[in-house]
Amino acid sequence: MTDRVIEVVGVEKAYRFFRLGSVSLELEAGQIMGFVGPNGAGKSTLMRILMGMIRYDRGAVRVLGHPIPEEQASAKRDVGFVSEDMRLHGNVTLAWYMKFVASIYPGWDAAYADVLLRRFNLHADQDIKALSHGERVKAMLLLVLARRPRLLLLDEPTTGLDPVARHEILTELMAVVEDERRAILFSSHNTQDVEQISDQITFIDRGRIIDSSDKETFIDRWRRLHLDVPSGVTLPSLQDVVETKTSGHIAVVITKAYSPAIESIYQRAGARVREVQRMTLEEIFVANVMSNRKEQAA
Amino acid sequence: MTGSLVRRLILLDLYLMRWPVAGALIAGAVSIALLPLSPVSAYVGGVSLICVIVILNIVLVMTFIVQEKKDKVQIFMLSLPVSTTQYTAAKLVANAIAFAGSWIALTVGAVAVIDVSALPDGSVPFLVTVLAYLLMYYCVLLGTGLASDRAGWHATVITVGNVSVNFLIPWLLSRPSVYRNRTGPVAVWTEDIVAVLVVETIVAVTALWLGLYVRSRRTDFV
Repeated sequence: MTDRVIEVVGVEKAYRFFRLGSVSLELEAGQIMGFVGPNGAGKSTLMRILMGMIRYDRGAVRVLGHPIPEEQASAKRDVGFVSEDMRLHGNVTLAWYMKFVASIYPGWDAAYADVLLRRFNLHADQDIKALSHGERVKAMLLLVLARRPRLLLLDEPTTGLDPVARHEILTELMAVVEDERRAILFSSHNTQDVEQISDQITFIDRGRIIDSSDKETFIDRWRRLHLDVPSGVTLPSLQDVVETKTSGHIAVVITKAYSPAIESIYQRAGARVREVQRMTLEEIFVANVMSNRKEQAA
Repeated sequence: MTGSLVRRLILLDLYLMRWPVAGALIAGAVSIALLPLSPVSAYVGGVSLICVIVILNIVLVMTFIVQEKKDKVQIFMLSLPVSTTQYTAAKLVANAIAFAGSWIALTVGAVAVIDVSALPDGSVPFLVTVLAYLLMYYCVLLGTGLASDRAGWHATVITVGNVSVNFLIPWLLSRPSVYRNRTGPVAVWTEDIVAVLVVETIVAVTALWLGLYVRSRRTDFV
């Protein structure tokens, strides 16, 4: 039996200059899903729909089994949400906030909160307004993690952080899902962060989910082939090739569904396969977005 | 849990508002204390009391409703286990308690000072009508703050609210019944005064209802 923590079916939301179009998404307990998209792709809109902060026009959303927005208050008891642009009241201390959040959530783990304070090098008696951006994000993460929620929704939490702070946060998040009942939806346009912690990856662009799979499948499917193309040879047009660049007798082909058969097809056409390269997640993301935009424009 | 969380959110807001409220109560008390000293100090006290209430109105609505949204603190608050409706209710109740509580304390204080001092009791209906106007102004600004994020609307309401007090006072005094009774020994609630109080109440209730209605129709809360 699957334990779905997020179920999004055909969700649509229209703004004047942006449209989230029929988005469907599922996340199961124990998974970390990287939600990757360029700026303005619709990541934050979807995250806020999941939190009941934005009402969608069409579709259905369930978070931890609760329909959203109707039962958002019940769902949010077990959801921790942090977004890059979220702020706290400046004139109180982190200790004050810890006490406030602890008074709301019976599952608040004070010992873990102290561990996080030390690990993140935060000072509980410091006023929130005196925190740097990185410290503020870590403080918000502390307030969320010490509640030990079943689902973490993190909307670009590592944006604008230095590499050390990013490492600290990602390490902590990886520790969170050692508990198999918990799950994370982690949005970012930084593919390095996503690659580091996610086991599932979903690409979104211009309000549409363009691809979704587990990380290994992505890395395995997408390949870059370097070909020698003698004069007079025309490369066959293959369905799963998303990009072909030629320069003289050299061609570079990107495919989204690699198999050794592709090499054979090119060889039979008269080309010589010089090298087959794996691609980084960032390269896959960019190629995926660009090919989808080209398809949309066609 | 949700009910107790709404109560906590109200208490949280009241805690954050404690300094502006305390400042307004102290400044208001000083203003009221000036009322019976001399005709000049009565004028100064009256004007400063109006200023204190207007400033408290603007600070409470603009800092704790409008700015909280602009600063994205609202995103954190809405990440807690409350619905958007419960959050709005908590904001409204906390803000109204802070302002109405201060307003009642200052109004009762001013009336009490008039009652025990040599100031004519006939000025009480006039004073209460002017202070009720400020309560109405607060309700209109609160309704606008709940309904809209546009600074232009807030600036318009604040400007009209501040300027209109300067028209209300001479207009009230131009009513013969108000002018005649304001220096009398007894508080007389003339038809003019009652009519103005009724209009102020209707405008206040309508503005709040409209603000809540428009907010409830919104689909984006952050």
